[in-house]
Amino acid sequence: MTAPSSPDQPWPVRTVARKVADWIGRLGEVWVEGQVAQLSRRGGATVFLTLRDTAADLSVPVTCHRDVADRPGLALTEGARVLVRARPDYYVARGSFSLRATEIRAVGLGELLARIERIRALLAAEGLFASHRKRPLPFAPAVVGLVTGRDSAAERDVLVTAARRWPAVRFAVEHCVVQGPSAAAGVIEGLQRLDRDPAVEVIVIARGGGSVEDLLPFSDEGLVRAIAACRTPVVTAVGHETDTTLVDHVADVRAATPTDAAHRVVPEIGEQRRLVDGLRARARSLVTGRLEQQERWLESIRSRPVLADPQRLLAGRAEDVAALRQRATRTVTHRVDVAGRDLEHARARVAALSPAATLDRGYALVQRADGALVRDPAEVADGEALVVRVAGGRLPVRVDRQDGTP
Amino acid sequence: MSTPDGAPTAATAPTQGYEQAREELADVVRRLEGGGLTLEESLALWERGEELAGVCQHWLDEARERLAAAAPDPSAP
Repeated sequence: MTAPSSPDQPWPVRTVARKVADWIGRLGEVWVEGQVAQLSRRGGATVFLTLRDTAADLSVPVTCHRDVADRPGLALTEGARVLVRARPDYYVARGSFSLRATEIRAVGLGELLARIERIRALLAAEGLFASHRKRPLPFAPAVVGLVTGRDSAAERDVLVTAARRWPAVRFAVEHCVVQGPSAAAGVIEGLQRLDRDPAVEVIVIARGGGSVEDLLPFSDEGLVRAIAACRTPVVTAVGHETDTTLVDHVADVRAATPTDAAHRVVPEIGEQRRLVDGLRARARSLVTGRLEQQERWLESIRSRPVLADPQRLLAGRAEDVAALRQRATRTVTHRVDVAGRDLEHARARVAALSPAATLDRGYALVQRADGALVRDPAEVADGEALVVRVAGGRLPVRVDRQDGTP
Repeated sequence: MSTPDGAPTAATAPTQGYEQAREELADVVRRLEGGGLTLEESLALWERGEELAGVCQHWLDEARERLAAAAPDPSAP
């Protein structure tokens, strides 16, 4: 074993290189899973490729013999998910590290789906897909974030449909690669940039249809976790209606298509206007109805006789007065008549009793000095002064009984 | 013969609210129809009734104007 190195006794490069090689060699043979990022066959017998981690943003160089890469049925292409059996190799001459692959297997579709299912089960167990995490979408967001492929059909569908429905909406678009090994990272980056922007009220991740491999980035564990961590509600519109990717499970809303996503995030202005107009009309008719009802009430109250025709009150009174006057007059007249008749009678009786008529008929009355009437000669004494009243007047007389008869 | 509480004429904005005037008007009519009033009382009551009706009419007309002023009929284009 060589002596420990120190500033006084430093190791030469070859020693360090050999030691590093030893250390690296200790890893031994490993099975590695990853995605082929670059692939170059120029190196004659040796094939160079870069294997990217499926979730993390890092990769490792891989070298292998051409036969390993061209194994029949492997169809090694960029973006392919592969399983690699390899040993760490430290190329001392240039101090470069790589994995020396002795076997490469393509990860089959079944394998892919199984892998997705495993990730789904894992994330589901963590509760990332729980419904209580789903947030409601804002009714009419001013700014909608959109993560999609540049100039993709998905982008156009979302923008055109949303603008038609709600012209006032504005978009903050993050373009990124939507296929291949770096897609997931690209979407995550766009997503997080929009999530940080406070103005963005909802984020749509839109991508057209594609094969399971094409859509693989949208079942990427890192992307799913990034969506779960978003502050802003997320709507996914990935693939055809029938495709389901893990992002659909974690999203707040899963739209069937990019167009459907536009329907979900913005209301339809015509519809809202009709709604508002309807409510205004109903409010107006309610108030008008109440107003008319009160007007009718007032009209009925005003037509009540006591208000409409006050003369009737007075008239009633006037008639009463007139009637009373009439009765009074009648009564008085009657009484006067009666009095008149009584007077007549009295007068008649007076007249009847009154000596005048008798006197007129030639009779005479004899009164004593005290006015008493003489009815019996015996009442008077001789020589008594008496008064005789005849029609024409009075005669003073004196009693002169010559013959001495009493 | 002044009205019992000297309320302002209907021309100026009445102090009474609509419901208040309406209740009093209904009461005035009830008493007038009940009869048994002196001429003086029924005349005074009648005048009060007319005034209250004016107040009610004022509020209803104002409501009508405000409704029309608020917005033209929504069915208009």
